[in-house]
Amino acid sequence: MRRSIPVVAATLGLALTLAACSGSSGETTDDASESSAANAGTLTVWVDDTRSGPVKEVATAFEEEKGVTVKLVQKDFGDIRDDFISQAPTGQGPDVIVGAHDWLGKLVQNGVVAPIELGDKAEDFLPVSTQAMSYEGTLYGLPYSVENIALVKNKDLVPDATPTTFDELVAQAKATGTQYSVLIQQDEKTGDPYHMYPLQTSFGAPVFGTDADGAYDAAQLAMDSDGGRAFAAYVAKLGAEGVLNTSLSGDVAKEAFINGQAPYMITGPWNVGDFVSAGINVGIEKVPSAGGQPSQPFVGVQGFFISAKSKNALLANEFVVNYLGTKDVQLAMYEAGGRAPALQSALDEIGDDAIVGGFAEVGKDGVPMPSIPAMDTVWADWGATEVALVNQQGDPAALWDQMTASISGKIAAS
Amino acid sequence: MAATTLPAGTTEAGLRPDSNETTPRGARWWRELGWRHVVTWAVLVFCFIPILYVLSSSLNPTGSLTGSNKLFSSISFQNYVELLTDPVHPYVRWFANTIVIATTTSIGTVLLGAAAAYAFSRFRFRGRRGGLLSLLLLQMFPQVLAYVAIFLLLVTLREVFPAIGLGSPLGLILVYLGGALGVNTYLMYGFFNTVPKELDEAAKIDGASHAQIFFSIILRLVAPILAVVGLLSFVGVFSDFLIASIVLVDPESQTLAVGLYQYVSQRFSEYWGVFAAGAVLAAIPVVLLFQFLQRYIVSGLTQGAVKG
Amino acid sequence: MTDTSTRPDRTDAPAPPPPPGSPRPTGSWWSRQDLTRGFWVKTVLVALVDALGVYGILAAGALGQWGIVAFLVVALVVVNVVYFSKRMLPAKYLVPGLIFLLVYQVFVVLYTGFTAFTNYGDGHNSTQADAVEAILVQNEVRLPDSPTYPLTVVVNGDELGFAVVDGEGDAELGTAEEPLEPVDATLENGRVASVDGWETLQFAQVLERQDEIFALRVPISDDPNDGSVRTPDGSTGYVYVSTMEWDEAAGTITNTTTGQVYTADEEQGAFVASDGSQLGTGWKVFVGFDNFTRVFTDSTLAGPFVGVLLWTFAFAILSVVLTFGLGLFMAIVLNHPKVRGRKIYRSLLIVPYAFPAFLTALVWQGMLNRDFGFVNATLLGGASIPWLTDPWLAKISVLVVNLWLGFPYMFLICTGALQSIPNEIYEAGKIDGAKPLRLFRSLTMPLLLVSTAPLLISSFAFNFNNFNVVYLLTEGGPDDLSAPVDVGATDILITFVYRLAFGGVNRQYGLACAVSILIFLIVASISAATFSKTRALEDLH
Repeated sequence: MRRSIPVVAATLGLALTLAACSGSSGETTDDASESSAANAGTLTVWVDDTRSGPVKEVATAFEEEKGVTVKLVQKDFGDIRDDFISQAPTGQGPDVIVGAHDWLGKLVQNGVVAPIELGDKAEDFLPVSTQAMSYEGTLYGLPYSVENIALVKNKDLVPDATPTTFDELVAQAKATGTQYSVLIQQDEKTGDPYHMYPLQTSFGAPVFGTDADGAYDAAQLAMDSDGGRAFAAYVAKLGAEGVLNTSLSGDVAKEAFINGQAPYMITGPWNVGDFVSAGINVGIEKVPSAGGQPSQPFVGVQGFFISAKSKNALLANEFVVNYLGTKDVQLAMYEAGGRAPALQSALDEIGDDAIVGGFAEVGKDGVPMPSIPAMDTVWADWGATEVALVNQQGDPAALWDQMTASISGKIAAS
Repeated sequence: MAATTLPAGTTEAGLRPDSNETTPRGARWWRELGWRHVVTWAVLVFCFIPILYVLSSSLNPTGSLTGSNKLFSSISFQNYVELLTDPVHPYVRWFANTIVIATTTSIGTVLLGAAAAYAFSRFRFRGRRGGLLSLLLLQMFPQVLAYVAIFLLLVTLREVFPAIGLGSPLGLILVYLGGALGVNTYLMYGFFNTVPKELDEAAKIDGASHAQIFFSIILRLVAPILAVVGLLSFVGVFSDFLIASIVLVDPESQTLAVGLYQYVSQRFSEYWGVFAAGAVLAAIPVVLLFQFLQRYIVSGLTQGAVKG
Repeated sequence: MTDTSTRPDRTDAPAPPPPPGSPRPTGSWWSRQDLTRGFWVKTVLVALVDALGVYGILAAGALGQWGIVAFLVVALVVVNVVYFSKRMLPAKYLVPGLIFLLVYQVFVVLYTGFTAFTNYGDGHNSTQADAVEAILVQNEVRLPDSPTYPLTVVVNGDELGFAVVDGEGDAELGTAEEPLEPVDATLENGRVASVDGWETLQFAQVLERQDEIFALRVPISDDPNDGSVRTPDGSTGYVYVSTMEWDEAAGTITNTTTGQVYTADEEQGAFVASDGSQLGTGWKVFVGFDNFTRVFTDSTLAGPFVGVLLWTFAFAILSVVLTFGLGLFMAIVLNHPKVRGRKIYRSLLIVPYAFPAFLTALVWQGMLNRDFGFVNATLLGGASIPWLTDPWLAKISVLVVNLWLGFPYMFLICTGALQSIPNEIYEAGKIDGAKPLRLFRSLTMPLLLVSTAPLLISSFAFNFNNFNVVYLLTEGGPDDLSAPVDVGATDILITFVYRLAFGGVNRQYGLACAVSILIFLIVASISAATFSKTRALEDLH
C-alpha cells in the first residue's frame, strides 16, 4: 500500500512530538486529578456544597501553615458514602471525606475508614457526638456539627408556657383556634419515623436496645415491646384526632407554619431560617413527653472521616484531628454553614444564639441515630406501618407486631 | 366526512394542504384549525401546571415547592440573585460547561450516528441485520454498575491519556459518545431509507465518491432527523446526572444537573427557591435550541430536494 | 426498502449542488481520487489517530497496562486497514462509532457481567489483603487509661525512632526493635527537641516518610502484650494493643483476647470461625452461578413475582402506547401549516422535557397529595382521592406522570418522522376517495411505523426498566405490609429487585447485577422477536 507512506511518516513525527511533550509517561500533571497517590503532601478532601466554603477557608490556612496542598472535591452529599465505598479500594479515592455518622456501619464493614484518636481532646466534644462517631467502641470520625429536631413554637400565637405532656400541648394548641395544632410532617407512602421518634422514645421504645458498651445491638429490636405497642395506639389516636395527617408533607407543614396556621411544629434548624425571615417569633423547646418517659429525638452528627487507604494518613490525621478539631475552626465552620458545632467550647461561645442554643439544648437529651447496617432494613416497614396507624388501617398493636416481626425476619435473614 | 371536503379530511390525517389555498374562516376554520388550538391548549395546560409550581417557587424567597396552592403569592427575584452570585455554586460556570459539553456531544453523536446509519442504509454487508439489532439491544443492558465501571475505566485511562481521564470534560464527552450508536442510529436509519437511492446513483454516475454523497447529499436531505437526534442528545447530556457526577468533581467544571442536584439532595426545603430558579434558567437553552432547530425538523425534507 | 415508485417526482431530482469548498470533479473522477482534498484530509486524520495510538501504546506499555496496549494495537490496525482499503465501505462509516461503543459501553456490560458472578456488595468490597488490613486496623485499640505522649520523630541513619515525654516529664526513646528506654534529651515546650546521636525530623520531613512513620510501632516494654506506641499525626503518641493477629501462612486471624481463630474461607470471601461466626469485613470472591440460582430458589421472591411481572408489562406497554399516542397526535395536530403560532406551540410542548425528571416527580408528588394537592384541592374542589396511596390509583398516577415526562420525546420524534412522508402519496389516496381516518390508518401509520417501530421497541425496553419514574414518585408503594419482602403496588421488576438487593442489611451488587442480566435477557428476547416482526412490516413497502 504505497499510499500509506505519508501516514507512516506523519504518524511517527506526531507520535514522537507527543511523547516528547508528555515527558516521562508515568507522570500525570493533570490538575483535575483527585488521586491521593500522586504526591505526599497533597490531601484530597471530599466535601459537599454546604461544607465546601468553610472547609476551603480552613484548608487555605492549613496549607499556608504546613506548606502542603489541600485539594477539595465538591460532591453531592448523597453520593459521598457510596462513591467512597466503591472508590477507596482502588487506591484512587480521597484521603478525607465529610459525612454523617450513620454511614459508619457501612464504612467500617467495607473496611474503607480508619480509626482516629482524639486523645484528651475527646472530652471537649459533646458526648453524644463522639458516641455517634464511634462504632463498636472505636472512634472513626471527628465530629464537627450536631443536628436534631425540636419543638418549634410560634410565640406570638401561644405566649403561655409550653405544657409538659403532649396531650396538654395538643389541647393548648387547639385552643388557639388555628387550622392545625402541632405540625409533624409526614409522607403519604413512607410516613416519617424520624420526626415521630421523640414521641416514640417517650414510650420507652427505641429502635434497638444497647449492649453493655452502650452500642446499638441489632439483635435487640426494642421497638418490639409494650412501649412500642402503646406508641402505636397513641399514633392511631393522634391520627383519629386529626393531629397527624399523612397528607401533611414537609412542604405543606412548612407553609402552614409560615402562614401562622399552627402554633407548633416539630422540625429541625434547616427550616427555622425561613421561619425567621417570614417574621415568625420562634422559640425552640423540648418535645413534651407523650408516654411518660423523656422524649429523645435522633441526633445526627456530621464530621470528617479518614480513608483506610489514604497514602497520606499522617497528614490527614494532622488536618482532621489537630486542625478541624480546634475551637476556631469549629466556630468558622459554624459561621459559614450555620450548623451547631460539636465542640463544647465552640458551642458555649455561640450559646446566646437562641435558635442554635435551643436546638443544642434539646439535642443533649437526644440519641444518635443507629449507624449499624441493620438500621437500613428498618425504615421501610417502620414508615409504612406508621402511615397505616395514622390512617386507622387496622388494630394498632397488630400492625405494630406485624412490623416488628417483618423487621426481625429481615435482620435474621442476613 | 366525504372525500370532497378535501382540506378538512386531509388535515385530520396529518396532511399539509396545498399552500395556495386561502385561510379558512368561520365554521370551516373551526373544523380545520380551531380545534387544533383547543387541543393544543388543553395539552399545554397539562404540561404547564407542574411547571408553574417550579416557577412560583423560584420567585418565592421562603416558600416550599408544593406546600401551597396559592401560586405566585410572593414575587421576588432574590432566588435568582442568590443563584447567580453564590461562590460555592458557580451556576454561570455550570451553565457554560453544560452548553459546551452538550453541544460537542450532540454534534459528535449526530456525525457518528449518521455515518453508521448511512452504512446500514446504503451498503449491504454481512451482519448488517444482526449489527443493527445488537446496537438496539446493547442499549437495553442494565446500567446498575455503570458508575463503578466508568470510574475504573477513566482512572486507568487517566494514566495513559490524562486529557480524557477522570475529571476531564473531554473524557465525559467521549463517554457520552460511547452511546452515539444505538437508538439514534436506528432513528436515522429509518429516515435514511426514505431518501431514494436513485439520488445516490445519479450522483455516482456524476462521479461523486461515497463520501461526497454522504456529506453533501444525504446529510442535507435528512436534516430533520439530524436535528431531532441532535436535540435528543443535547437534552440527554443536559439532564444526565449519574455519569457526569462521577467524571467531573471540581465544582468549576461540573454540569448543571450535577450542580443543581446538590441543592436538593439534602436539606432540600431550605434551597427549593434557588434550585427552582436554577431549573427554570436551565430549561431555557433547551427550549431555545428547539425553537431554532424547528425549521430544520419541520421543513428540511420538503424544501430540500422534493420541490423541483 | 423504500419503494421509490411512491414518489415519482424524486427520481428526476436535480443533481445536488457541489459541496461547498470541494473541487468540482472534472474528467475521469476515479483516476484523480488520490489527489483530491478528501484523500489528504483522510490521511491527516488517520495520521493523527495513529499518532495518538502509538503514543498511547508507548505510555500504556510503560505503565504495564497491557489491556490498553492490546486494544490500541488492534484498533490501530483496524483503522488503517479500513481507511486505506478500497473495499470495506460500510466499515469506513461504522468504525468511529464502534470504537467509542466498545470502549465505553461494552466495557460497562462486561463489568456488570463479571460482577454478577461475584459476591460484590457491602462487606465484600475489595481484596483479601484490604480486608485483613481493615480488620487489623479496626482492632488495634488504644490501651484504656494510657497516657498521651508528646512525640517527636527522630532518625539515626536509616532507623526511625520515637522520642516521647512520659508522664513524669522524662524523655524516652525507642524504635521498632528497641522498646522505649529513658534517654538524655533537650526538652522544649514539653516535648523532645533533640537527642544526641539522633536527628529530629521536621514536619515536612515527617510527611516525606509518612508511610513508614504511620506504620511504626514502638513497644513500650519487652513484653509485646503491654502494647506499643504509634503516632497518627507525627506529634502525639498513644499506646495501642492489637486484639487481632494475622497469620499469613495459615491464612487465619486470631482474636488474642478470646482465642477465637477465624480462617479465611475463599468460598464465602470471609473469615469464618469454627462456630460459624464471621468477621464483619470480607472480600470479593467469585461465587459462580450462586446469584442466579438464588433468584430461582428464593421463596420470598416467588410470592410477589407474578403480580410484579404482570404490572411491569402493563406499565411498559401502556407507557409506550400513551406517550406515543399523545406525541403522535400532537405532532399531527400541529403539522398543519395554517395553525398560527405552531412554532411556539411546538416549543412549549417540549418544555416538560427540559426539566430534570426528579424535580418534576417531586412536583407531581405534591400535586397528587390527598388532602392538599392541587389536583384534589383545586381541580376537584376539595376531593380526598388517595392518588398515591391506593394501589390502583397509584398505578394510574405513575402512568400519567410517565406520560407527562415521556410524550415530548415522542412528539419530537413524530414531528421529525412525519416529514419523511411525502404529500404525494396522500394525493393518490385522495383521488382514490379514501376517508381521512382510513388514510391515516393505511398510509400515515404504516409509514411512520417503519421509522419509529424500533424506537417503540426500545422505548418499551426503557420503560420496562424505568426505575426513576416509579422510584421518584411512589418508591414502589403503596407497600403490601403483609408481604415478607418490601413490595408495593407500583413496583416494577427492576424496583422490586433493587429493593431486595439493596434494602436488606447489606447491599448485594452481585445479586443486583445477576438479576438485571436476567431482566435484560427477558427484555432483549421480547425486543428481538418484535423486531423481526417489524422487519416484515418494513418489507411491505
